[in-house]
Amino acid sequence: MVSTSFPWLTTLILLPLVASLFIPVLPDKQGKTVRWYALGIGLLDFALSVYAVSSQYNFQNSDFQLAESYVWVPQVGINWSVAIDGISMPLVILAGLVTTLSMLAAWQVKEKPRLFYFLMLVMYSAQIGVFCAQDMIQFFLMWEVELVPVYILISIWGGQKRLYAATKFILYTAIGSIFILVAALAMAFYGDVMTFNMHELGLKQYSLPFELLVYAGLLIAYGVKLPIFPLHTWLPDAHGEASAPVSMILAGVLLKMGGYALIRMNIEMLPHAHAYFAPVLAILGIVNIIYGALASFAQRNLKRRMAYSSISHMGFVLLGIASFTELGMNGAVLQMLSHGLIAPALFFLAGIVYDRTHTLDMDDMGGLAKKMPTTFALFTICSMASLALPGMSGFVGELAVFLGFTTSDAYTATFKGVVVLLAAVGLIITPIYLLSMLRDMFYGKEGKAVVQAVVLDVKPREFFIAACLLLPIIGIGLYPKLATETYDVKTVAIASHARNAVPVVANQTFKDQPQFSIAEQPPFGIAPKMPIANPELLGMVR
Amino acid sequence: MDFASLAVQLNAGTIVPEAIVLITLMTVVVSDLIIGRQASAQWTPYIAIAGLLASVVALFYQWDVANPISFIGEFNGDALSVVFRGIIALSAATTILMSIRYVIQSGTSLAEFITILLTATLGGMFLSGSDELVAVYVSLETLSISSYLLTGYTKRDPRSNEAALKYLLIGASSSAIFLYGASLLYGLSGGETRLSTISASIASAGLAQSIGLVIALVFAIAGIAFKIAAVPFHQWTPDVYEGSPTPVVAFLSVGSKAAGFALAIRLLVTAFPLVSEQWQLVMTTLAILSMVLGNVVALAQTSMKRLLAYSSIGQAGFVMIGLILGTDAGYSSMVFYLMVYLFMNLGAFTCIILFTLRTGTDQISEYAGLYQKDPLLTLALSVCLLSLGGIPPLAGFFGKLYLFWAGWQAGAYPLVILGLVTSVISIYYYIRVVKMMVVKEPQEMSDSVKNYPPTDWTLPGMRPLQVGLVSALIATSLAGIFSNPLFTLANDSVLKTPMLQQALGRSKAPIAKQMAPTISQQLSLQITEVSTKKAVSLPKSMVHS
Repeated sequence: MVSTSFPWLTTLILLPLVASLFIPVLPDKQGKTVRWYALGIGLLDFALSVYAVSSQYNFQNSDFQLAESYVWVPQVGINWSVAIDGISMPLVILAGLVTTLSMLAAWQVKEKPRLFYFLMLVMYSAQIGVFCAQDMIQFFLMWEVELVPVYILISIWGGQKRLYAATKFILYTAIGSIFILVAALAMAFYGDVMTFNMHELGLKQYSLPFELLVYAGLLIAYGVKLPIFPLHTWLPDAHGEASAPVSMILAGVLLKMGGYALIRMNIEMLPHAHAYFAPVLAILGIVNIIYGALASFAQRNLKRRMAYSSISHMGFVLLGIASFTELGMNGAVLQMLSHGLIAPALFFLAGIVYDRTHTLDMDDMGGLAKKMPTTFALFTICSMASLALPGMSGFVGELAVFLGFTTSDAYTATFKGVVVLLAAVGLIITPIYLLSMLRDMFYGKEGKAVVQAVVLDVKPREFFIAACLLLPIIGIGLYPKLATETYDVKTVAIASHARNAVPVVANQTFKDQPQFSIAEQPPFGIAPKMPIANPELLGMVR
Repeated sequence: MDFASLAVQLNAGTIVPEAIVLITLMTVVVSDLIIGRQASAQWTPYIAIAGLLASVVALFYQWDVANPISFIGEFNGDALSVVFRGIIALSAATTILMSIRYVIQSGTSLAEFITILLTATLGGMFLSGSDELVAVYVSLETLSISSYLLTGYTKRDPRSNEAALKYLLIGASSSAIFLYGASLLYGLSGGETRLSTISASIASAGLAQSIGLVIALVFAIAGIAFKIAAVPFHQWTPDVYEGSPTPVVAFLSVGSKAAGFALAIRLLVTAFPLVSEQWQLVMTTLAILSMVLGNVVALAQTSMKRLLAYSSIGQAGFVMIGLILGTDAGYSSMVFYLMVYLFMNLGAFTCIILFTLRTGTDQISEYAGLYQKDPLLTLALSVCLLSLGGIPPLAGFFGKLYLFWAGWQAGAYPLVILGLVTSVISIYYYIRVVKMMVVKEPQEMSDSVKNYPPTDWTLPGMRPLQVGLVSALIATSLAGIFSNPLFTLANDSVLKTPMLQQALGRSKAPIAKQMAPTISQQLSLQITEVSTKKAVSLPKSMVHS
């Protein structure tokens, strides 16, 4: 590991947190100083993260970089250890970008500005902390620190049903996080050495049942966050009720914490269980894609429609994770990044529309295109990106996932065919609901809310925010290497790591129960690598 | 025999901290008598606080004492007792900080309040180190009787009277039960009163598996469980907490509870190692019940003090996890949690006192919109409550983490998982209060908050409250992140305590040895057990038929 002289990551994590502590004592009138202060801190942290990555980070190295480790509570074995690699580095940058932009988007927060920016800065720290943490307990701590700020942000600055949404959010996430702590303790105490260091935990040799159990627990915890189908119900409420800047962070960064943790822990630390669970993930991914898309089509509330669309898009991440291929893994990360840019942009634009029309009900909208031409253009671009129009980042991500899954040799052809077919169905529903959303909002007769409202088009500040998100979307779409090159080595490493576990599993099952693995091949289970790779053996057994 | 040599013989140096508290107490009483109420109220509380802090300093020097056993085995000033005595003294000092304004405003005499509180502190401190049945009982009663007096201190308030009466009745019966248990121990051990010799005498008398010992254990646990408010001995808690003066509740929930835990460790570990499986089973049951009932019933509370009453029951359940484990980490996590609990719970009570003083109510719904009027109070109460709920990075999170860590290390998986589930439940009701204060909009403000007077910190007795509030806030927010010294303290207190080390070393091999020769007795006992059971069940069946 490359040791650096300056503790970059610790600075990145602690800067917003420490800065937030000064907010209560800032001299301030009507929240103007506070917002400049918070924005300045956000920009500074973002600039620092970009600088740290560009100057200290080696893109061709799949190891952890910028690593730091300090003893924190040795009695319990907790260390403050941070490092970034190809998976976490882009997400750190994304978190910085989205959070800073959302603070800019919240420029007109009138109510309790001090509290708002205080919570935003705490969230900023926690997000970066989650992506950088290399110690399970530190990770859990950062994960939980996020909880209360989001709760308060939703329940003060949210819509009509904000209290319900906030409570649902906190209960789901808190219950989910029990599993993280239990898994952390279980893995830490497994074997002879007690450690919470993720890297060392990944090196431990767990027994298969134990690994499956821990995997299932973590899947529930991160499935709540990502979200995965039966655990998703908090999301439409939370994203629908939160104010636009908070929704931007929720959809842009918080969902990625789930995907990131799945890759970091479930795949990197528990590859053998992943070999068993991957088909389940693929199926859940399909369910997410189709269910999310159909449910989204049924929504008349603008933000709820986008929230379900997020669920649908996260299904591709699951598919990519389950693919066992370099391309699929690459696509999963790219899909997270791309959704991390598109979803905030859409939520932000929805916030603009709400700001002007004071409604989120699409039945009351219509004909907005005439009054808000620039918003219309921006909204259309974002929707196109979201429905994966070629040339936009969404397309590249989803294409990579598809290609990865199709070329995967870990599944039977039938299974792959069904999965890809169903995912393609989801891909068809996506334009339906997004285009119908555009039609209802911008075309046709002017709706109730539009007629009454004095409608102004986007202000320069708002245009700037949208542009900041759209530029990378188009940039990545036109030249995907821009993003993929930064993490490619790492996803290749992870994919091969996960792939390596498959033959091991096949071997095991083969050795233990030869009858089972050949004769009773589970319909969409892992087709054991062994028979495919080794046709002689297959023939011999038969 | 002159005094000095007597003191040396008795090794009286170990009780210097208690002596300091005693002298402070006498000073407060006498100066109150000489100078008069009005004048003395100006400075007696500060003398008391200074005395308690001096006592903590004295405890610091007791840390590495060579010979902790004093008064011919009555008192054991080992490291564990030092930590517990420190917790109790600190909690008393904080209680005085928060009580000055409260007592002045309630129109009662301050010096008497402080005197009784210091007596209770003295009882608690002695209880933490008592190593002998008589000393245990006397200090337990000192603590209890002063607590009854304290709960009824605002004598014109009928609810306070009710609380005192309830507490007295239940407390008296529980100490009677405890005394009976102690007398059984005395009898079984053939006239031993020192805790450390009791188990050896019982074992050598061949009564290691006798029913009498189990009964003594159950009775002793009943007494302890009453002090730490473990379910099902908790019924007094909500009523007493609701009715008593709030500073008293603060002391009961921290100081008195810590003393109870100190007694629990010492008594169960030294006097009942022969039935350690049984007491672990009983305490596990109590812990499960406390965690579940405390945290679930708290969900339905509308009064802040009742909420904290049930939450403290739940918290006691968490701490009991550490007690049951019987490992180094288990005991240290208990000590650590109690230290952290001291800050966060007393901080919460300070906030409640401030609010009650300003508005005269402690209904949770009356806290609505407090953020607009008093951000400092809102911040402090939110931080303390969230810390109680175990939200990182506050102190309570690290406390719970250590408990659960120790639990997992010892293999108590179901307990840890239950603890985690119930602490998620607890987050719900703690955050409900936070939500009430922070989230409500100006138009949803409660009447009390609308008429909320601006804070005047210059009123007599307000400055100490402010000091208490701010220090609790700082301690609760930072004690977790910089918890290394506290962890070290907690671990050392266990490692340096011979009694625990002996028990931990012993709990593996020698108990098995002691068990071996008694197998035949065990068999015969089982037979008698069965026959007694039959004898008991017979009348029932007769009734049914």
